[in-house]
Amino acid sequence: MSFKAGSRALLRLLAALLFLLPLLWMASASLNAPGDPLPTSLRLLPPHPTLANYGRIFRLLPLGRYTLNSLLVVALAVPITLVVSSWAGLGMARLPKPAQRRWITLSLAVLMVPGIALWSTRFLLYRELGWYDTVWALIAPAWMGTSPFYVLMFYRAFRRIPAAIYDAAHLDGAGVLQTWWLVALPMARMTAVAVALLTFVFYWGDFTSPLLYLRSGEHATLPVALQTLQQLSRSDWALVLAAAVWTTLVPVALFLLLPLLFNRRQKRSVS
Amino acid sequence: MSNGRLHPRLSPSARWRLLLLPYALGVIVLVIVPAAFSFALAFFHYDALSPPVWAGTLNFVLAYTDELFLLSIRHSLALILIPVPLRVAGAFLLARLMQRNGRFLNWFRTAVYLPSVVPGAAFALAWLWILNPLYGPLNLLLSALGFAPPAWLVDPDWARPALALMALWQIGEGFIVSLAALYDMPAELEDAARIDGAGSWATLRSIVLPLIAPILLLLTFRDVIFTFQESFTQIYLLTQGGPYYATYTMPLFIYEQGFDLQAFGVASAAMWVMYAITGLIVVALVVIARQWNIGTTEETFVL
Repeated sequence: MSFKAGSRALLRLLAALLFLLPLLWMASASLNAPGDPLPTSLRLLPPHPTLANYGRIFRLLPLGRYTLNSLLVVALAVPITLVVSSWAGLGMARLPKPAQRRWITLSLAVLMVPGIALWSTRFLLYRELGWYDTVWALIAPAWMGTSPFYVLMFYRAFRRIPAAIYDAAHLDGAGVLQTWWLVALPMARMTAVAVALLTFVFYWGDFTSPLLYLRSGEHATLPVALQTLQQLSRSDWALVLAAAVWTTLVPVALFLLLPLLFNRRQKRSVS
Repeated sequence: MSNGRLHPRLSPSARWRLLLLPYALGVIVLVIVPAAFSFALAFFHYDALSPPVWAGTLNFVLAYTDELFLLSIRHSLALILIPVPLRVAGAFLLARLMQRNGRFLNWFRTAVYLPSVVPGAAFALAWLWILNPLYGPLNLLLSALGFAPPAWLVDPDWARPALALMALWQIGEGFIVSLAALYDMPAELEDAARIDGAGSWATLRSIVLPLIAPILLLLTFRDVIFTFQESFTQIYLLTQGGPYYATYTMPLFIYEQGFDLQAFGVASAAMWVMYAITGLIVVALVVIARQWNIGTTEETFVL
């Protein structure tokens, strides 16, 4: 290994550790035994590490239900977002140049609208549509591809595919949807994965929508539970952080499994 | 799977256009119409109980004469000017560092992305603990290293730097997008530059940056807007605008006017100002980019 490669590897390791540090601190503090004093010097683990706080949060709140609600939200929102944003991206990429520019301008303008400007009027809209206090209020943005940013990402990926390939698909008798599914989407796989991940994280962590558009606890998601818990027991750090860790667990597990998935696919495509 | 032949009367280009239909409808129903309503309210007195009453430009005057409003603009800008370039540059440099193969590369990438998948509320609570002046691990670490640690979120001078600091850990979106852009870039270009004897800095500046610049610009737009809005969840949970209004930002002003005081007109006038400021920043970015010839070539899709 050359010196340059070695120092790069070291830099990578340091960066990775630095980014993991807040998560490690959060997890370690959640293991503090109930009643044990807070630390006065730096330590890796509390003196009597225990998972007791995780049991306590499930007794205090219906956390299982909240977790299922969160899973339902992403299970609906991610596929809808992928279809709508990749359709729009492909449609934009196949337009004549001036029309493409108009759609880009529109998308950027929409991107610039502050979310807070939509809070009260979306509230009225959802009430009219009967979406208020249902899961549909939480996933509504998926019907516009969640964010024009994702549409632009797909647009950019699809525009790189040579026109000849679209023409060939057309000559072979492929319709628009077949071209999208069989030709364009496989060639923009990385973009699709990126959009899926970003969308998942967005809906899983969405704090404001449940706050504004839900009334009963029936459809409440995990971020709501966190706020409730913080209000219930502000100074019980281990308890609050245990709930934070639990809320973080599903996306983290997903992302830890992802490299394995990619490795396998790469190996398969090599062999 | 059905296909476009179900519509034999439509020309091929019209059939491609149909793909844009759901997006167009969604944007109209979920953004354009609600935003138009919100912005129109700036010219009315409206408290959500009685019907709106025409107010002319009174709401703008009310907002402008409110000391807290000008304060919130200053704080919002402060939270953008330094943190956003730092975040975009950090995301890009990390993507560059982790671009080519190496041992455990996927794990390192995952580690950098991981804090960004932490839900905003959980992230806020974690940092409330980390930044705790007495027991928080950051200050215990700083004390152990011999520094006199600040009180972070409870010190008016350190509350904004604290928010900017924690935001540096959530740059995964920019990281992944930069990585995808670098991945899409033809590898032969860089290899050719290397064979021609270009050092890594020269390659970065004259080969990689011009190709990636449109993406960085888009990320900067995104981050400016994101910081305006996303700062709300964090600030709402961490400081509620305090201490002594040190973290009082525009979304907080709008939220308080609208949802606490039921002065939807004033809130809406403040939105106009916020939107105008966002627009000005974006225009400034576009002008700078044009000057530097970034994103004005064939590769462009932003400008």
